[in-house]
Amino acid sequence: MTPPLTWFLLLSAALFSVGTYGLLTRRNAIAILLSIEIMANAVNINLVAFSRCLGDLAGQVFTLFAISLTVAEVVIGLAIVVLLYRDRDDVRADLADRMRG
Amino acid sequence: MIPLALFVVLGPVAGFLLLAGLPVLRRSGLAAGVVSSAVALATLVAAIVLLVGVEPGAAPVIAQIDWLPHQGEAFARLGVRVDGTSAVMGAVVALIASAVQVYSLGYMASEGRPSIGRYFAWQSLFLFSMQTLVFAPDLLQAFLGWELVGLCSYLLIGFYYQKPSAAKAAVKAFWVTKFADMGLLTGLVLMRWQVGSFAWEAVQPGWTATAIALLVFLGAMGKSAQFPLHVWLPDAMEGPTPVSALLHAATMVAAGVYLVVRTWPLFEASGVALHVVAWVGAITVVVAGLTAMVQDDIKKVLAYSTCSQLGYMVAALGAGSPVAGLFHLTNHAFFKALLFLAAGAAIHAVHSNSIWEMGGLWRSLKGASLLFLVGAAALIGLPGFSGFFSKDFALEALAESHLWGPFALALGGVALTGFYVGRVVVVAFFRRPAKERGRLHTPLVMTVPMTVLAVLAVVGGLLGGPIAGWLGGAYHFHVTPEGLTATVLALGGLGLATWIYGYEGGRRLVVLAAPAGAFIRSGLLDRFYETAWRQGLLVVAHAAGWFDRYVVDGVMNLVAWSVLEGSERTRRIQTGRIPDYVLAVVVAFVVLAAWGAVSGMSGCGSTP
Amino acid sequence: MNVALFVVVAAVLLAASISVVAGRELVRSVLWLAVALASTAVLFVLLHAEFIAAVQILLYTGGIITLMLFGVMLTARITGVRIAVGSAGRVRGGLVAVGVFATLAWGILASQGTIVAHEPLDPESTTRLLGAAFLTDYLLPMEVLSLLLLAVMVGAIVLARRRDPS
Repeated sequence: MTPPLTWFLLLSAALFSVGTYGLLTRRNAIAILLSIEIMANAVNINLVAFSRCLGDLAGQVFTLFAISLTVAEVVIGLAIVVLLYRDRDDVRADLADRMRG
Repeated sequence: MIPLALFVVLGPVAGFLLLAGLPVLRRSGLAAGVVSSAVALATLVAAIVLLVGVEPGAAPVIAQIDWLPHQGEAFARLGVRVDGTSAVMGAVVALIASAVQVYSLGYMASEGRPSIGRYFAWQSLFLFSMQTLVFAPDLLQAFLGWELVGLCSYLLIGFYYQKPSAAKAAVKAFWVTKFADMGLLTGLVLMRWQVGSFAWEAVQPGWTATAIALLVFLGAMGKSAQFPLHVWLPDAMEGPTPVSALLHAATMVAAGVYLVVRTWPLFEASGVALHVVAWVGAITVVVAGLTAMVQDDIKKVLAYSTCSQLGYMVAALGAGSPVAGLFHLTNHAFFKALLFLAAGAAIHAVHSNSIWEMGGLWRSLKGASLLFLVGAAALIGLPGFSGFFSKDFALEALAESHLWGPFALALGGVALTGFYVGRVVVVAFFRRPAKERGRLHTPLVMTVPMTVLAVLAVVGGLLGGPIAGWLGGAYHFHVTPEGLTATVLALGGLGLATWIYGYEGGRRLVVLAAPAGAFIRSGLLDRFYETAWRQGLLVVAHAAGWFDRYVVDGVMNLVAWSVLEGSERTRRIQTGRIPDYVLAVVVAFVVLAAWGAVSGMSGCGSTP
Repeated sequence: MNVALFVVVAAVLLAASISVVAGRELVRSVLWLAVALASTAVLFVLLHAEFIAAVQILLYTGGIITLMLFGVMLTARITGVRIAVGSAGRVRGGLVAVGVFATLAWGILASQGTIVAHEPLDPESTTRLLGAAFLTDYLLPMEVLSLLLLAVMVGAIVLARRRDPS
């Protein structure tokens, strides 16, 4: 039998927190993108778990959309990182402070 | 009748636009003058035909359009009002303006071409403005024309704008009349507020009528140079002499008198206002007459004389006789314009304004001298000349209304008039000249208008009956004690002046009178105005400056300072480092989620 | 059986994820992410979402990992074989992460039992239903999505293109 929904949700919450930690502490822009992937993955688990639990297909549809969007995001994110690297020879996000007010 | 009136008013503006809009014409010199003069003459013909067509005592014919409609009702009206009063004044204005413009063709010929064009453009504008005022159907249009003639006066006084004194005189005239116009404007506002229209017939007797009448009269005092607002008129003589003749002797300065005649129902409704008018006029007669006695500049003598004569008209109005006022206005327009033009011819020939540098003009400048003498005789009021009739009529009106104070002053003024006219005539025309000069010449184009005016100055007395008829009054000449006394006084003044200035023995009297002359000549009033005005302005300016510097600027600075300081502090939040932003987002998420969970709206527990 | 499998997979997933965010080498982090995404696919199978699991493996894991490796290689210096990635503000980040988890867990546990489980979807027909849904109810979002992907493609090319020196 399938484990209860709460387990999946707690797992997802834990993964999301781990992603948040990486997002906050990582300095390399690509590492930050990796952390975001983990967070997105946590969200996908949530969606599929609810879809299973509620017997509703919408959750799976949304997961597919989310996967596609994440891929798109990664593409653009990497393009920006490459651009940033070309411009500054460095991809450390915390040093990119040109937008300082 | 209406088309004629419209032509009289709008013809000159066409001339003005033609001159102003066609630089080629304006810069062409005398051609511009010919165009302008032709328009003026055409309006003269129209004005005379119009005047002849007006039935004495007929109801006014009014053609007007609504202006500035407000809640279905016109705020004011624009148009023409043809009745006896406006037709007479319109004809006088057109006549003097035509004469002056034709005369100017000769007088201004030596000016630069663009200057001539400018001069005639303003002359046309003046004629339009004056007729707008004259034919105004209500007080607002009159006010518009009133301000426009004020503008023309400013422009024409400052015609020689390169001359500092002329520019200063123009500004002074503007300031003083504008001060008076504030009264007129206040009167207009009061009228609109209390009466609800600008039609002078609508005013009922009462305090409102008195207040409006006095405020309108304040405006008239400024324009008609009544004591103590007369100080600008002598300075206005800085303008070209024909301008002095037209604006500052015959027509524009008479606008104040005309305005009172025009708004007569207003003054009739207030006895107090009439008393004030009578006294102001009489005092002006004497003060201006005294001042005229000690002037050396021939134009200034005539300028103070104008003040004095306007005083007669005003006093006659105060005595309740608009007929006498308008009658004297008409005659004065003729002979004073003539005097100015003749004086202009003398100045033109001698190149000096001072009567002491003229001398012996009777020999060297026969024609102009003769014309001047005719004007002088009319001004003094020698029997048979026009001034005799109208001045006597004014005195009679004062006596009939038992205003004995003003009457006495006006009677004294007759003697003063005799004296200062005699002085000018003797000194400038009959004394041995300082240096010999040959025969001088006056161009025909200048002589003809003067001759026309001279004829009118002689026979002007005959106009008394018709004018009275047009105004709905009556005038019959008859010999009165006042008239006889006045004639005797005038001759006495004339004789005294002749004796003093014609014979060496009289010189001693001049020495005796010197302190009084010095006092009058010192321009005490001018200095008083200047000081009062300047000090008052300074106090106001300092107060306003303080307010601006510390209150207005203070508020502004406070606003600017808080914006700068606030942004300086908030900009620190923006580090530009991405992790900081991410942290802000995540913390915000946690706080919001916690808040939602605490308030029971987390959404986790909702079931479909 | 399923519960045991879930516990094992969840443990692997959590460990891999922690390795991704805490590892010192970027290339290893990318590979750990691959492990995490793959074990998620197992979870999807457990949840009877076979099609999603397939997509997760084929597209997500394969595509993302390839992209990431490209990104690492493009931005790393050739000389440095080991690409170290430092972390900063570990304590602060840890506290915030714990806060996030506490909030989420609280919400989850507070609402426990309010959702009544339904009959699971028929595993045989899920994929078919998914395909039908994409071509009927979700047609417009899908078309918009395809447009977005096109835009992303163009955008990425434009952004990453080497500028002409002139």
